[in-house]
Amino acid sequence: MASIVGIVAVAISAFVLPVIATLWLTAAACALVAVTAVVNAWGRYTGGLLVAPAIAVLVVMNIFPLLWSLGLSFYNYRADRQTLSFVGLRNYERLITDPVVWDRLTTTALLVVLTVTVQMVVGFLLALLFSKQFPLRRYLLILVLTPMMLSYVAVGAFFRYYYDPTFGLVSQFANLFTDEPYVLISSTAGAVAAIVIADAWMWAPFVMLLVLAGLVSVPKYLYEAASVDRVPAWRRFQSITFPYVKGLLLLALLFRTIEAFKLFDVVFILTDGGQSTETIALYVYRQAIQFNKTSYSASLSYVLLFTVIVLTNLYLYLANRRAKEG
Amino acid sequence: MKLITRSLVTTALAGCIGMSFTIPSWSEDITLNMAVPDWPPTRIMKRLFDEKYKAPSGNNVTLEVDFIPWPDYYTRLNASLTSGEQKYNMAVSDSQWLGAFIEGGYYRKLNDLIDADPELKATLDDMHPAPLQAYATYPYKSDNIYGFPQMPDILITYARSDVLCHPDEQAGFQEKFGEKLPCTPEELDGMDWDMFEKIGQFFQRKKGDMLMGEPAEDDFYGISYQAGKGYDFSSMQINGFLWQGGGSIWDETKIPDGQAEGVVNSDASVKAFEHYLRLLKYMPPVVKTGSMDIFKTDELFREGKTALNVQWIGFAESVINPDTSKVAGDVVFAAMPGTKQADGTINRTSNIGGQPFVIMTWTEDDKIKEAVDFVKWWLSPEIQHEFAAAGGQSAIKSVYNDPKYVTYRPWNRTWAPGLEWQQDVWHVPQFFELLVQQQEQYDLAITGKQDAKTTLDAIAKFQQQLLEDADLIQ
Repeated sequence: MASIVGIVAVAISAFVLPVIATLWLTAAACALVAVTAVVNAWGRYTGGLLVAPAIAVLVVMNIFPLLWSLGLSFYNYRADRQTLSFVGLRNYERLITDPVVWDRLTTTALLVVLTVTVQMVVGFLLALLFSKQFPLRRYLLILVLTPMMLSYVAVGAFFRYYYDPTFGLVSQFANLFTDEPYVLISSTAGAVAAIVIADAWMWAPFVMLLVLAGLVSVPKYLYEAASVDRVPAWRRFQSITFPYVKGLLLLALLFRTIEAFKLFDVVFILTDGGQSTETIALYVYRQAIQFNKTSYSASLSYVLLFTVIVLTNLYLYLANRRAKEG
Repeated sequence: MKLITRSLVTTALAGCIGMSFTIPSWSEDITLNMAVPDWPPTRIMKRLFDEKYKAPSGNNVTLEVDFIPWPDYYTRLNASLTSGEQKYNMAVSDSQWLGAFIEGGYYRKLNDLIDADPELKATLDDMHPAPLQAYATYPYKSDNIYGFPQMPDILITYARSDVLCHPDEQAGFQEKFGEKLPCTPEELDGMDWDMFEKIGQFFQRKKGDMLMGEPAEDDFYGISYQAGKGYDFSSMQINGFLWQGGGSIWDETKIPDGQAEGVVNSDASVKAFEHYLRLLKYMPPVVKTGSMDIFKTDELFREGKTALNVQWIGFAESVINPDTSKVAGDVVFAAMPGTKQADGTINRTSNIGGQPFVIMTWTEDDKIKEAVDFVKWWLSPEIQHEFAAAGGQSAIKSVYNDPKYVTYRPWNRTWAPGLEWQQDVWHVPQFFELLVQQQEQYDLAITGKQDAKTTLDAIAKFQQQLLEDADLIQ
């Protein structure tokens, strides 16, 4: 009941009251719902109450800002002006009809497909390599995992110098054969390749780690039996290895796809969106932080969020269907 | 009676002791929080403040400075101001941001403080109008004052005298072009963009080619100027070309009649922009990536990869410092090249750099007073001379016209003549949107994706629409 009262009160206040009053009313409604829940649950759901602080933090840090920004996307709020008026779905209408947004979404989709594919392939191959025992394996494994632990900015700065035509290693190496400096980021294809390589270098180890966990869980006797039956290597991989790592691969695919959709840092540092590599995340950043178009950028963020949620559910649906088939 | 006397004496003594403890407490501890870009002129300012500043009020004033890297400076300051955290009392602001932050209600108008302080007014009256108008006025060139110059700056030429003056290079250039290769600061002062281009053409040396009588250790290039996609790292150079070539940017002093279409993409502008683009092929290959900003050209020059670099004066200190520059002992400074006119004179019109101090609207009265005292101290002749001697510049005529001024640093000789050629870009609140779109379009041209005409047409169309929507064009 308290929840219904809270939601109705907040919805009405958003239309009739000033922003500050709506803010306080929303906070009061949340408090009312929380207190009611605690009183009702006391003695009956002690476990639930014990996790309540964590949920409260989640609400304050995640849920509330999400709802707040969703509300803002229906206004024309600008952070640098502090003026507000209700515009309904106009921001969404504008972004759907904006060719620049579609261009940035296309660029993002291209980068998602390329980076995730490269990461999955390289990660999988690395996992196959490290699933075998060989000298210095442990030390090499630590080295291979290191990029994943670096900050995006460090990786971006590193690759910026790596690709630099005057000082960079790539150019210096190419110079040995061609006697010309090599300028990778001089075309769209080159810039995309530069971003994909940098992102794959950083995140292929993550895929490797997940796949490796699947590979080491394959019972050895299955391979031994296959060996006795003289099963070819490809058939062994298809019938024994792949089914064990399939779930983890799908999980890696899910995580990396979600992350790739938010690709920002490496692009920002390597190309600053130049050579037609501006991603939707970088575009949102410009709208929100540089142009102060807070409401418009909020609506853009929600389109991005919606896309990621749809993709996530698609993956989960596929994963569940395969699990049922299995 | 004795008791009364004793009591009075005791009270008086207690009063005196009490007074001796309370007098120091009259001087308050006041902290001025300031956001600044992280580069030598602000580092020098902080050092001079810590070493020398004594507040005239007797208060114990400290200056807490946030040094923010240049490429992130706008976004960091913008985020701080718009978030409402009210962290800073003052900032060293780029002049172009004045409109956005004044309209947003963040920068305080200073006319009342100036009118109430004849000494400050006299200082501002003694200032060159170009930096004063660029850094302080909004609308641009109006009487509304919002800032005080912190570090005025202009684009000049950095040159490798060891390369340019080498007899082999001199002979080679004479043979190829039938002209003398300019080498001394005075000769370089007379350089126009055509000569700049010839030098670019002449010094296209591969690793192993002869350079200064020896095989070059690495590829070497003749010229560089800013051509980066980030912030304003191509616009600042291109504007100079446009103005010198008879073109123009959208002129905010002509609101609401001044148009963008037909002006920004006029034939003269297109021709001038083509001139800018034509020289890029002689520059280090990083120019093709759209990341050859002022930091990259600075790095290339300090690493000894280029003979000439057009750069802001603010970078000069690190170029002559052996700890940060491989060419520290071999650099001379001259005026920025210009466009030769029909009468033989050189037009050097350029975009002014530099930044003003601003005071935030939420700063309390006691802090405003201290801030103004600090600014007066900063603009005092003694400190301005010290700043110039340490590598900064002064916009105050009586300071930079002092014969001592040119002796402080080798680039100071270019300062006073250069100031006469300076203009500024827009100050309107839409500045950043205008700039980002323009930089994106320039980047497409710089990296060879489209020609000058297409680029300027796209910029003009965007600006016309945006400025019409904002009622700045009718």
